[in-house]
Amino acid sequence: MNGIHDMGGMQGLGEIGYREDEPGFHEQWEIKVFALVRAMQSSSLRTYIESIPAADYLRMSYYERWYTALVKRMIDKEVVTLSEIENGRADSASEKATPAVTPAVVHEYLFRTPQTELDIELTPRFHVGDSVRGRNIHPTTHTRMPRYTRGKTGVVERDRGVFNLPDVEEVSSEPKPQHVYLIRYTAKELWGEEASARDSLYIDMWEDYLEPA
Amino acid sequence: MRYNATYAPNTAIFRRILYLEETNMSQQNSDHEEHYTEVPSDLVLRVKALESLLVEKGLVDPAILDVLVDTFENKVGPRNGAQVVARAWVDPAYKQRLLDDGTAAVAEFGYSGGQGEQLTVVENTASVHNVIVCTLCSCYPWPVLGLPPTWYKSAAYRSRTVIDPRGVLSEMGLDLPNDVEVRVWDSNAASRYFVLPERPDGTEAMSEADLAALVTRDAMIGVAKVATPTAEGVS
Repeated sequence: MNGIHDMGGMQGLGEIGYREDEPGFHEQWEIKVFALVRAMQSSSLRTYIESIPAADYLRMSYYERWYTALVKRMIDKEVVTLSEIENGRADSASEKATPAVTPAVVHEYLFRTPQTELDIELTPRFHVGDSVRGRNIHPTTHTRMPRYTRGKTGVVERDRGVFNLPDVEEVSSEPKPQHVYLIRYTAKELWGEEASARDSLYIDMWEDYLEPA
Repeated sequence: MRYNATYAPNTAIFRRILYLEETNMSQQNSDHEEHYTEVPSDLVLRVKALESLLVEKGLVDPAILDVLVDTFENKVGPRNGAQVVARAWVDPAYKQRLLDDGTAAVAEFGYSGGQGEQLTVVENTASVHNVIVCTLCSCYPWPVLGLPPTWYKSAAYRSRTVIDPRGVLSEMGLDLPNDVEVRVWDSNAASRYFVLPERPDGTEAMSEADLAALVTRDAMIGVAKVATPTAEGVS
């Protein structure tokens, strides 16, 4: 989706606000939101975060977006109702659930490295050294193709293996496994003649995002 | 899809819930001692309300929340990454394993978990400077760096690091000479990156543990260098 979250290359979005040794959390409610999201196993909040209207997205702090997306997702998935959120109490018809993460499994849940690469043999369409171009596509779904790569030509640096295409994850029950490639773009290709001739940008691209150049 | 801008609970009800919680809180876990001497902010109320709702519905085990908070507040953080960097500085064979397969090499220290499944380590040298960003959200290598600082998630850092990395780094206090090649890594897919910074001059005699103490989180993101230690401390 051509949403506000797809920020790469934008200008005028304020200050970085850099502080050395800044913590990941400033207030207790922020880490609590993080913990609630993890405890609910809501790993796929991105679609919901990206659907927050642009003006609200920019106004909200980072963990306020997480809160909003978590609630929206739970309402959509019928885990909670809007009236429960508004009342802060379970509806009388609500049945007691079993927590997704229990003390018996929490350590494994936190420290087992997930396997996201798929053990599937697929013939790669591109190979190391190939020139490839970002396709001029505008998915209305979640996507991991930033708009600054559209129409730009880069070179395949590495084949990362096979992964599910994120674009279809929320909208289809059919997974779409395909090769992901590490692509190197020169800064000049992405940003024009003003950019440094020495500099470059590296990004992973699913096969569907690319065409031969 | 229609969005409620805030999902705000009924504030009066939550004041009552908070009051009830406080009155029997002395028996509770000390981590929960949040005394509202002032009127709590809207977000504090909303998150507290959500927590109590999810616990009441049996969706969340409160003990799990304590473990999650403790893990990311106290156990997982940039000290992990600093140990990895120091080992790579003193042990060439380890460094090679780290560059070949970051996930396997950090697992030698026992560091593992979500956001570390495709760890790619990029090496800064005298001629190449790497810097990490996530333009689409906030992807970050949790097992070695913990959770990202606010500036890493800021709209300004996410938007400008790809188009003007030298300008961004200069604003953050790192001026790179023109003959250094800058490589920007946009963490958009499964890969998570962290930077192996240059070992500073004058550290030849230092122990691995002392070296680890020099390594900062920001050097492992690529927005700073590891400073040369001086007699008074790090310069």
